[in-house]
Amino acid sequence: MEPRGEVFVLGLILSIALLVISVFISVWARRFTRSLGDYYVAGRSIGALNNGLAMVSLALSLTTFIGLTALIINGLYLAVAVYASFTASFIGLMMLAAPYLRRHKSYTTMAFIAERYDSKFLRIFAVIVMLVVSVLYLAGNLKGIGIVFYYLLGVPEVWGIIVGGLAVTLYVTLGGMYGVTYNQTFQTIVIIFCLMFPVAVVLKALGAAGWAFPPLGYGNMVPLMETVTPHYFWPMLAHPVTYVAIFLGSFFGIIGLPHFVMRFFTVRDAREARWSTIICVFLVGLVNTTVYATGFAAVYWMNTTGFDLSAAAYDYMVFILIDNLAAQGWLAVAVAGAIAAGLSTVAGLLMIMGAGLIHDLYGSLKPGVDDEKKLKLSYAAMFTVGILVILFSLNPPTFILEAIMWAFGIAGASLGVPVVLGIWWKRTNKYGAAAGMIAGFLLTFIPWILIGYLGMEPVQIPLPFFAKYLYGPLGWIKTTAVAIPVSFILTILVSWFTPVPPEALQLQVDQMHGWTDYNEKRYNGKVLPVTIIVLAVLVMWFMTTGYELFPK
Amino acid sequence: MKAYKLEIWVTAVCLALVSVAGGFASSLFVIFRNSFFNRIATPGALVPVYGETMYVVDKYILCLPLHYFLLIVLSWIGVTLIGAIWCLIMDKLEERQRT
Repeated sequence: MEPRGEVFVLGLILSIALLVISVFISVWARRFTRSLGDYYVAGRSIGALNNGLAMVSLALSLTTFIGLTALIINGLYLAVAVYASFTASFIGLMMLAAPYLRRHKSYTTMAFIAERYDSKFLRIFAVIVMLVVSVLYLAGNLKGIGIVFYYLLGVPEVWGIIVGGLAVTLYVTLGGMYGVTYNQTFQTIVIIFCLMFPVAVVLKALGAAGWAFPPLGYGNMVPLMETVTPHYFWPMLAHPVTYVAIFLGSFFGIIGLPHFVMRFFTVRDAREARWSTIICVFLVGLVNTTVYATGFAAVYWMNTTGFDLSAAAYDYMVFILIDNLAAQGWLAVAVAGAIAAGLSTVAGLLMIMGAGLIHDLYGSLKPGVDDEKKLKLSYAAMFTVGILVILFSLNPPTFILEAIMWAFGIAGASLGVPVVLGIWWKRTNKYGAAAGMIAGFLLTFIPWILIGYLGMEPVQIPLPFFAKYLYGPLGWIKTTAVAIPVSFILTILVSWFTPVPPEALQLQVDQMHGWTDYNEKRYNGKVLPVTIIVLAVLVMWFMTTGYELFPK
Repeated sequence: MKAYKLEIWVTAVCLALVSVAGGFASSLFVIFRNSFFNRIATPGALVPVYGETMYVVDKYILCLPLHYFLLIVLSWIGVTLIGAIWCLIMDKLEERQRT
């Protein structure tokens, strides 16, 4: 990708202003942090509106802002389906986990798993999984910040990774969860403004009749799109099980991704947890549908003007589009929005990594350490993690969204399953959870190493019986349709054939659902586990059949 | 047990609806593709890319293909409404649990 050839002064001013405001908010929010609970979960004092807005910016990372447009150019309808599932998955997170986790009063997902299953091993294993998925997520987002800086200054991406990474490390370390929350709320407003308006201007330039409302405003451009790119709207380019895999990865991935779940530990009560999700999903949907319009505009513009761009540079397309079709001021606005999107997500991830290392790992290995010392250690850990992640991100993935999609799959199969079953089925015990988590992790992490890291063809990986079906667009994503069902089946069967968990652990399930008393019959039937096993087997069977009916 | 069963059933039904609206909809569009698309003879220049026949969208709404419109609206407004209804019911249930 060729640099623009000059420093983009207006964009640079807005970006620096955004970074300064973020650090200022953290310094201001620091006054609220007096205890470990304040630092990690903002004293559980955040309201629904504030938390909902903070969740939006956490969800709308740079992968949404620039990665999704690149994915749409690559995957067309399939890419839109990925983000449609992602949008809806917040409601899945709410119905299956959010309010119940809030009532559990843990600090992190890892702490929840450890306390629900009374297992030190599961706590440590969950921390390891958290680190893997967080680093994958972070690498994608830091690369995005690098892309923005490259576009701004013409400097190599690596400088953006270092400067952006240092800024966010500074404000997360300073402000803790209060700083992160208020920053994310501010950044949500920035992101929505900075995405909606430039895209509207681009659509207007392309002749969209409904440019004032980008999510649905490009219908009059569809006939020409169907002429130049007839397959743009075809869902049947992929076997239907691909969409099932996307659904499983999104719904259980978001439950398994600790930085999303951590937001629910910060709200006042379960009711606030529920309504903050509704606010979040509405705004996330608004922004995502606007990005679908951006992707549509990018493909439309490329195919009607003959603009050629190498696949490796698709992540730059949003800025190229705005640069060519809107005034420079709008490009500066979009650049600032992209930086806000990147910073908010990186902040959330650093927060959970610091909490996981100090509260869950160190606290578990040295249980006698008091909260004051943990708080001091947390500042140091947060800073160290930030620096290490910057170093790791210096060799980022080619496409930023693919790394995040892998993170969703790994998180779903390893952490999402034990969280959901731990809330909804009392009979789930530590042996079942361990079996499901380990199997789920191996079935997603090893394919990521082979496909995502070493670049092997998906159909050639050593995944018995299923590997030969991993072809087609985003074919590797079908590994999720094996890993998550296997994780569910193993967790249920092993729990069934091993000792019943103690009553104190089963009582936690009643309490998470708001009951003050213990009733053995609640959340303990056979219908749920049997239904899950049947559905899991059906999904895996579906993956192996119907290929004569649906095109590759 | 009445409140417990209500919680389970409401959650199961709402989750099933959200799963279809936000997840399985695209699978259904593939399986029932003949309801959303027509199959036509491919224009001459496109035959090497698409073969002898190809799909064209059959139904539109707001000038967008019907299935695409359903995908983006259901996975946004649709699931938000389902989620809000679930929240209202859970709020009521919580009040009942407290009393």
